[in-house]
Amino acid sequence: MFSIINKRILAVLVAVMFLVQTGVSQVEVDSRIPKYEKTSGISGNANSIGSDTMNNLMTLWLEGFRKYYPLVNIQIEGKGSSTAPPALIEGTAQFGPMSREMKSKEIDAFEKKYGFKPTAIRTSLDALAIFAHKDNPLNCLTMEQADAIFSKTRKRGYEKDIVTWGDAGLDGEWANQPIRTFGRNSASGTYGFFKGKVLKKGDYKNEVKEQPGSASVVQGITEDKFAIGYSGIGYITSGVKVLELAAKAGADCYGGSYENVVSKKYPLARYLNLNIVNSPTKPLDPLVKEFLKYVLSYEGQEIVAKDGYLPLPYDVVMEELEKLN
Amino acid sequence: MSQMSYFKKKGDPYIFAAGMGLIISLGMVAWILIVILAKGLGFFWPRDLVEVTLDDGKKYLGEMWEKRDDYDRHETQLKNGNRDLYGIDFVWMDDANIVSSEYPEGAFTFERMEYGNFYGYIVAVNVENQAVTAVDGDIVSKAYDAFELAHQTHDEVVETQQEITDLTEPLTRLQREISLLEIDRADRTEEGRALLERYRKEANEMEQAIAEEYLALNSELEKLVIKDRSIFLSVRTTDGRNKDLQLSHVVRFFAPNQMGIFEKSWHYMGKLWEFVADDPREANTEGGVFPAIFGTVMMVILMSIAVVPFGVMAAIYLNEYAKQGVVTRFIRLSVNNLAGVPSIVFGVFGLGFFIYFVGGSIDQLLFSDKLPEPTLGTGGILWASLTLALLTLPVVVVATEEGLLAVPRANKEGALALGATRWQMIRKVVLPNAMPGILTGLILAISRGAGEVAPLMITGVVKLAPTLALDATFPFLHLDRKFMHLGFHIYDVGFQSPNVEAAKPMVYSTALLLILIVILLNIVAIYVRNNLRKRYKSSTF
Repeated sequence: MFSIINKRILAVLVAVMFLVQTGVSQVEVDSRIPKYEKTSGISGNANSIGSDTMNNLMTLWLEGFRKYYPLVNIQIEGKGSSTAPPALIEGTAQFGPMSREMKSKEIDAFEKKYGFKPTAIRTSLDALAIFAHKDNPLNCLTMEQADAIFSKTRKRGYEKDIVTWGDAGLDGEWANQPIRTFGRNSASGTYGFFKGKVLKKGDYKNEVKEQPGSASVVQGITEDKFAIGYSGIGYITSGVKVLELAAKAGADCYGGSYENVVSKKYPLARYLNLNIVNSPTKPLDPLVKEFLKYVLSYEGQEIVAKDGYLPLPYDVVMEELEKLN
Repeated sequence: MSQMSYFKKKGDPYIFAAGMGLIISLGMVAWILIVILAKGLGFFWPRDLVEVTLDDGKKYLGEMWEKRDDYDRHETQLKNGNRDLYGIDFVWMDDANIVSSEYPEGAFTFERMEYGNFYGYIVAVNVENQAVTAVDGDIVSKAYDAFELAHQTHDEVVETQQEITDLTEPLTRLQREISLLEIDRADRTEEGRALLERYRKEANEMEQAIAEEYLALNSELEKLVIKDRSIFLSVRTTDGRNKDLQLSHVVRFFAPNQMGIFEKSWHYMGKLWEFVADDPREANTEGGVFPAIFGTVMMVILMSIAVVPFGVMAAIYLNEYAKQGVVTRFIRLSVNNLAGVPSIVFGVFGLGFFIYFVGGSIDQLLFSDKLPEPTLGTGGILWASLTLALLTLPVVVVATEEGLLAVPRANKEGALALGATRWQMIRKVVLPNAMPGILTGLILAISRGAGEVAPLMITGVVKLAPTLALDATFPFLHLDRKFMHLGFHIYDVGFQSPNVEAAKPMVYSTALLLILIVILLNIVAIYVRNNLRKRYKSSTF
């Protein structure tokens, strides 16, 4: 019934209007992903509380979304993925961006409050990278080695602790240099993801320097030639390089390119999710729904690529759009 | 030996040590200021573009950024921009591999709305399907003409969009009401169904009423948009890749290698103004910081409004009314200790008391229709200001007490002897004389409050606030809104932004701005204090 207006012209026009100039950017968004179509009647306020990794993404999406709906205000807070579930449960946020899956404890708490499970919408792909200084001659690490560098428990079972670059297989001036490790603070989803995926839930070494932001991990490595650290691949700068990873000793090494991530050859990929409260008995708030539709549109996915993350493959987008209906 | 002990008695070594201490601390302050000044102000200067050719034939065009020496290796960092083509803005190269570096006249820097700077050469100017290439004469002035036209067109686009927004706003709001009712399943009750029905009818009528104007505006917009998109520059990078830059997406472009010192200074002023007066772009890593300046100043003002009356009242009671004894001594001790409590503790208190308790209760009383979406039960500029007011309260109390103590006893007793009541004496004699002390407290409070970030992070600061706390929509002052703050901006841009290399200079500039604002606020307060001092000096006796 909201009608004459949007059906006739708006859809086509707006699709033309805000098409970002398509350059040969790093990763191409699948052109089959539907373009965003404006509807009418979208205004109001909302809050987003959660991941700091997704902070920039949310901000950029909002900038784009407000071009269609100037009357929308969304306030974005990004203090870490762990802040998302309480905010959704308290009702202080409508969007809970998280750079990891919700833990079963968090889902239980959610279910206790609402009586149904939270809906997680996959918005983009992020590959976690292990960064080293740009002059570091090392090209590839196995997951066992990575575990032995960052963990004191070595749950992957590498035979010895890796303390110096010599232990990791380098010679010359590097052999005797101790490895200095950088990581994220424990509120961040990146910390949790790396711990689960690489350390197999083991414990980090005490020497890992915990940084307040992904960018400061990269900064730390840039300033220290003998450093290594993990953070989102989108944070790469000219001062660091991404190490290729091998699933186990003797396996092939793969870099964090889009093809390798989508084909799951690169082991450290994850989805960045937007969690929402989607009651089975009530219709979804159109503001929330349209925002998610925008995120899952061609335009929204282009923003993902622009911010240094990886856009979703076509079939994942369609699956997620299905969840909204 | 005896000479030594004489020196010791005279105290010379201690004077020397004290002097050295002063020099070291002043030196460190000066050093910090110089670093921030150099890095913060240097950022806006247009740098020359250098074209570097390496021995493997690779060519780069960009701004020389940093040099680093590592044993016998010398490296240079070049900002070669073009993020949409290359992925990263910067490149490191070994000086030993550089075959030649030149400063080509025709190289241009394009500052863009998206993807950062572009460095390259202009190949052709396209305006509404007409291309002008370098063969046809002065291509640069044509490019500037096209730039003007593009921005004019873009302004018209924005204007038309605004008209459409204004036209449809009532309808949009009504439709929002309808969808909120639908979410709440209002159609389950008779009443709700009737209301929905009425709203829907209203919406329909509204739509009919504006349809004609809407369609006209829309077709105008369509034309403008097509025109806007048809004005672009064809540019080529130094390694021969071509790209079309839509001119309305270019903020400015210039050829730094051709610019003289005056042109560069002019350009510099423009950039500086943009930094202070514009909204941020590209997730805060580019553009200006105006909302953050606004938020910082407004928060400090709100804080001052809250802290001064309370601090002064507390000090007056403590000093003039309360019976001096163990209790007042204990209170004074507590107040002094309060000044030493870490600021994050105040933040947690603000979160628990102001936001959850006070804000939550107000929400239940006044805004219960909006729950569970909180109105005041979430961080906002009011709660952040009050938290900071608590944080700075001790400073104001202590300074005011100093001021009160400095009022001569004779004046006070004189007033009482002439028949003034105690309150009259305080109002007419004590307070005016203590005013400079109170203002000193305010100055200290401002200095402390403006630089504090930790408590704000949990009481209402956000990375990007879409609206200011003061605007033209009723009720003009929106104390419940979240806000941006320069201190948090520094933290966020420095630690959280991807592409941190390009964002780093922003951190220095923002830090410099924060320092300048604190100094400015202080100067204003000091000026007021000195004026007051003069006035009361002449009026007492």
